Amino acid sequence: MILINCPYCGERDQSEFSNGGEAHVARPENSENLNDKDWGRYVFYRDNPKGIFYERWVHTHGCRKWFNAVRNTSTDEILKIYKLNENPPSKESFTNTLKTPSGEPKVGSGNFTVKK
Amino acid sequence: MTQLLSSQGVDITQRNFQQIIIRGDGKDQFNQMINREISALPPSKNLEVIINDKFMFAKNSFDQWSLIYLVEQSYKEVLNFISEVNSKDDILASDYSYGQVYFEISGKNRNEFLNKLTHFDLRLKKFPAFSMAQTLIAKIDCSIYNLKDKYIVTCNRSFEDYFKERLKDTLNI
Amino acid sequence: MSAADNKKSHYINDKEISFKFDGKKYLGYKGDTIASALLRNNVRLVARSFKYHRPRGLYTCGIEEPNGIVQILNEHNEPNTRATVKQIYEGIRVNSQNRWPSLNLDVGSINNLLSPMFSAGFYYKTFMGPKGFWKKVYEPIIRRTAGLGKPPKEFRSKSVHQNHNVDIVIVGGGLSGLIAARKLIDTEYDVLLLEQDSFLGGILKNSNKIKKINNSEVNKWIKETEKLLKASKNIKILKNSLVTSYNFTNHLIALEDKCAGKEIDKEKSELTLHKIRTTQTILANGHIERFISFRNNDLPGVMLASSFEKYIHRFGVVPETNPVIFTNNSTTATLLKSLIELGHKPAAYVDARDKNKIGAKFLNYLKKNDIPFYINSEVEGCDGNKKINTISIRKNKNKIIKVKSSMLCVSGGINPDIHLFTQSKGLVKWDDKLLTFKPDVPFQNTITLGSVSGNYNYEKTIDEIDNKLSFLKAKKIRFNVELNDTNNFNIKELWETKHEKKSNWSKSFIDLHNDVTTKDLKQAVKEGFDRIEHLKRFTTNSMGTDQGKISSINSLGIVSKILKKKISEVGTTTYRPPYAPLSFSAIAGRNTYEFYDPQRKTPIHYWHIDNKAVFEDVGQWKRPWYFKKFEMETMHLAVQRESAQTRKTAGILDGSTLGKIEIKGKDALEFMNLMYTNAFTKMKPMTSRYALMLGEDGMIKDDGIVCKFNDKHFIATTTSGGAPKVLADMEEYLQTEWPHLQVYVNSITEQFSTFNISGPKSREIVSKVFTDVDFSNENFPFMTFKVFDYKETKVRIMRASFTGELGYEIYITPNHALDLWKKIFHYGKAYDLVPYGTETMHLLRAEKGYVVIGQETDGTVTPIDLNFNWMIGKNKKDFIGKRSLTRRDTSREDRKQLVGIVPLDKSEFIEEGQHVVECERLPKPIKTPVEYLGHVSSSYHSPNLNHCIAMAMLKGGNKLMGRKLFVSSTYGNKNIPVEVVSPVFIDPENKRLIS
Repeated sequence: MILINCPYCGERDQSEFSNGGEAHVARPENSENLNDKDWGRYVFYRDNPKGIFYERWVHTHGCRKWFNAVRNTSTDEILKIYKLNENPPSKESFTNTLKTPSGEPKVGSGNFTVKK
Repeated sequence: MTQLLSSQGVDITQRNFQQIIIRGDGKDQFNQMINREISALPPSKNLEVIINDKFMFAKNSFDQWSLIYLVEQSYKEVLNFISEVNSKDDILASDYSYGQVYFEISGKNRNEFLNKLTHFDLRLKKFPAFSMAQTLIAKIDCSIYNLKDKYIVTCNRSFEDYFKERLKDTLNI
Repeated sequence: MSAADNKKSHYINDKEISFKFDGKKYLGYKGDTIASALLRNNVRLVARSFKYHRPRGLYTCGIEEPNGIVQILNEHNEPNTRATVKQIYEGIRVNSQNRWPSLNLDVGSINNLLSPMFSAGFYYKTFMGPKGFWKKVYEPIIRRTAGLGKPPKEFRSKSVHQNHNVDIVIVGGGLSGLIAARKLIDTEYDVLLLEQDSFLGGILKNSNKIKKINNSEVNKWIKETEKLLKASKNIKILKNSLVTSYNFTNHLIALEDKCAGKEIDKEKSELTLHKIRTTQTILANGHIERFISFRNNDLPGVMLASSFEKYIHRFGVVPETNPVIFTNNSTTATLLKSLIELGHKPAAYVDARDKNKIGAKFLNYLKKNDIPFYINSEVEGCDGNKKINTISIRKNKNKIIKVKSSMLCVSGGINPDIHLFTQSKGLVKWDDKLLTFKPDVPFQNTITLGSVSGNYNYEKTIDEIDNKLSFLKAKKIRFNVELNDTNNFNIKELWETKHEKKSNWSKSFIDLHNDVTTKDLKQAVKEGFDRIEHLKRFTTNSMGTDQGKISSINSLGIVSKILKKKISEVGTTTYRPPYAPLSFSAIAGRNTYEFYDPQRKTPIHYWHIDNKAVFEDVGQWKRPWYFKKFEMETMHLAVQRESAQTRKTAGILDGSTLGKIEIKGKDALEFMNLMYTNAFTKMKPMTSRYALMLGEDGMIKDDGIVCKFNDKHFIATTTSGGAPKVLADMEEYLQTEWPHLQVYVNSITEQFSTFNISGPKSREIVSKVFTDVDFSNENFPFMTFKVFDYKETKVRIMRASFTGELGYEIYITPNHALDLWKKIFHYGKAYDLVPYGTETMHLLRAEKGYVVIGQETDGTVTPIDLNFNWMIGKNKKDFIGKRSLTRRDTSREDRKQLVGIVPLDKSEFIEEGQHVVECERLPKPIKTPVEYLGHVSSSYHSPNLNHCIAMAMLKGGNKLMGRKLFVSSTYGNKNIPVEVVSPVFIDPENKRLIS
């Protein structure tokens, strides 16, 4: 259980929140002008990277407010939390500390508890 | 007012209050509208609770307030107040009277007791007196108001039996 | 040769306790673990091994025990309890595990002779065929002979959860933990000190390595420290609390045994699971000794040297007065000295190190005390029947010498207990001097102190603590540690000694718990499992309940030698929680049985009980399923009666569980038009409308009735289960997609009890209850609503129906709900008003062809599939899911569509969930797949038509009207012939509805 800092209520346990998937996927306005493929992309396709990820959270069992977070999906570190009306922080402001593509050491365990 | 439990430094009393949930922007017009009706300004600081001998007024979130009458009002008047507030297009007041149950929890071991049911950080430095929080207690959505020497915990009326059983069980086991 | 008491120990107290092991009565002292008490009674054989059923004895003195796991008969028959941890009390009954018929004579030990069959990966290789053998032959046999204790038959263990929010957690109340805690007394931090034992002290009590602290005798110092900590305002001590997990964001889980050393009180909880959120964690959880593999290193009598030491000092029992000591490092010196000081003489001292490493001082001490010692030497193996008889020593790397003794204390070095540190995602590194992994870079706010940080020098611990805690503005108190043995730690690499003898019985184990031998490791590497994680799974090495605490580093050492790699290159396996096994009851806490899921009750709940309602769970709600008119009435009879009566006169349903949402704001109309498929613009005030909500994929998510007060104020109902989700969706769109809309939404589900009264006589009944209201068809037409005063509250009545009959939905505040309900029955009596439950509700709506979200729909159904085209506001520019309705896939004509079906033979009954097919009989055998046309979504016996009616979702169903098809059944292979019809079975002209 990670700790999440709700911008309205403060730090709370993860169990009070729900994850809303990728952030900054705007609902297309004139959807009637989109072809099936493009509309399908909006409805069904979301990014799922290992590492830095911009995502939405909602404080379901608290104030019910939505907000955005930048999370490192391989370590579960929440690097930044910002309100919906705030500009997203640039990706360059975060350093992905994990060296190998999957964030694991080249040898050993399949996690990164061993430092070479 | 019903005394439910009292042992091991925890006292729990069930109370009957009337409550209104008010949604709005918290700006001048909103404040004046409320002030005109109940002669009090809604708290402006998020999660703040103000209290007088008639009611408790808390800001649950940036656009949401809870007004809890500590002294029973004529229900007609409460409903009239709600209609009055709702006459403004950009405010929503919903009656919560009798749809919620209220528990007053006091005693020196109240934090340790409640922390058997919730992860919520009740330490004074994180949850100061006269502030409120919406959180999970015994797996259900609750609001908790810190009134310095006691807490008021509220939840939906439908959970009343379940919640009381949990409180009892937690104290006795 | 046998056990003796250490009279000097503080822990022997005169209170004798009797307990039973395998039915036999023994005496021990209060404070004894099962293990120490058995050793006191010279019981060496305590278990049979997992796979080979080899005799096993106690190997350690703590949580790391691989052998001594037992079953506690008088505690819910609790299996797999560590004898080295569990304290005895008067009357405790303990049994050994995994043996039959007895520990001494175990039939399963034949497995040892068959052991070539059981080598690494044997499960994968051996039990490959013939087909069907696994289920019928292999598995039952393996289950019987391999394994652990028997599961408890009745499980009524009780445990509670306790949350903590603190600033600093200290794990371990040993030397460094206690000093750290003392430095934090009366600081601004809330501190929680967790100790797994029932007393503080750790190494200070487990050995006599440390003589004095600040010139006071260690026990005195511990007492003084405990007093100071208890008196402080900010420090809380939890004993008997083992930290099992160190999760992300400094969240730790600790399990407290509240009944340590006493009998369980069945009324109270036995365990507390502490869930701790902290800002800073101080790990001072020490180290664990590891063993060395040699021939028959599992014989009862082999024990870790530091554990032996622990029994002497902590429990006051010398398990054997003349043991052999075998070591490769300096930590065993204090054990030897302890024995000599107590007047005992070790049978031999075997050290793999050379004289330089051992040091002249210690060698002189050995000579002076006339101890037979062998340096540059190793134990080759040991022999004996169910206990050690002789020990073979390879002297100076060649000559074998035999020594007689019944116990062998072995030390292969010590490992910092990095389990929790690595769980927290801290990085570890290999230390060439200490020959072990130790913490390197922490990932969270974690500090390691003392031996867990790889600091084995107790004098230097003081400086380490000062340095590492300086940022906390801790108190500057100086501590001074005086040691009994001042040698610096040194060690010689030795993982395994060479075998001399070869027989099937001779084995050199690497994992005692899972019976993995060093030979298995070598074989697995040979077979290509050269990655440590693969090797672990293939051999099951370190996968037992002890998780290889005393052996996993050894296996890395052995594997690194085979692979000719450095240990740091081999790497460790992943350390995952829990640190030690914890029972499911601890994890479940009180969230079991009646508290498994919160229950919601309506204001009418107790009236339902008084009127013999049988309840059904709908989400968390308890809803009446049907009402028993008399004790013997079956559900079928009750539902038929309720349904018929409702259509005949009137019935009433407690619909309080329906979700209700109040929507208000300047842009409420626009918002509603976007949320629902329906068009609300032209809808008149004070009317209501059946409405559908879709997902963006065009699939039906929820339905309900929307009441419009005016363009700025609506109330919507949702399904009972869907209420939280619908409210959440509304909030989501308002906040994330349409923040420019000025709309507020509140849940008012609990604020209104809802009664659905319907049937031809319902108008007469409500007219008698609300005498001031005009219920005539002209003044109160279908799908309109009225709000009026009732007593001191307000009532909203809507003319709507989910049965197809004339009906009203009454909304009232909960304070007057039960009163009103009773009043309705008072006036309804004359009309035989019947209360009905959810089953009758379903039947009545099915007769009318109304769908239930979640029954006819399953997240893959569009409104078009249900022929709900009339509900789609086609002229609206946008609503959620609109675009998806014209996607190629969603607008296919052969999608599953809603139809009604009836059996051709009216006496037959169709079951819900059955398949609809074209063939009367399934071919036998089935060579090509039988085409599946759809499924039966609802089916009831209609009392009003007196035959079965069903609804089905059929591929291209609209075009199949009138067709003869077949429905599969659970009886035989004969399918039931049916006809596809319109799903509206009763009153298709809506005459009853709008009358």
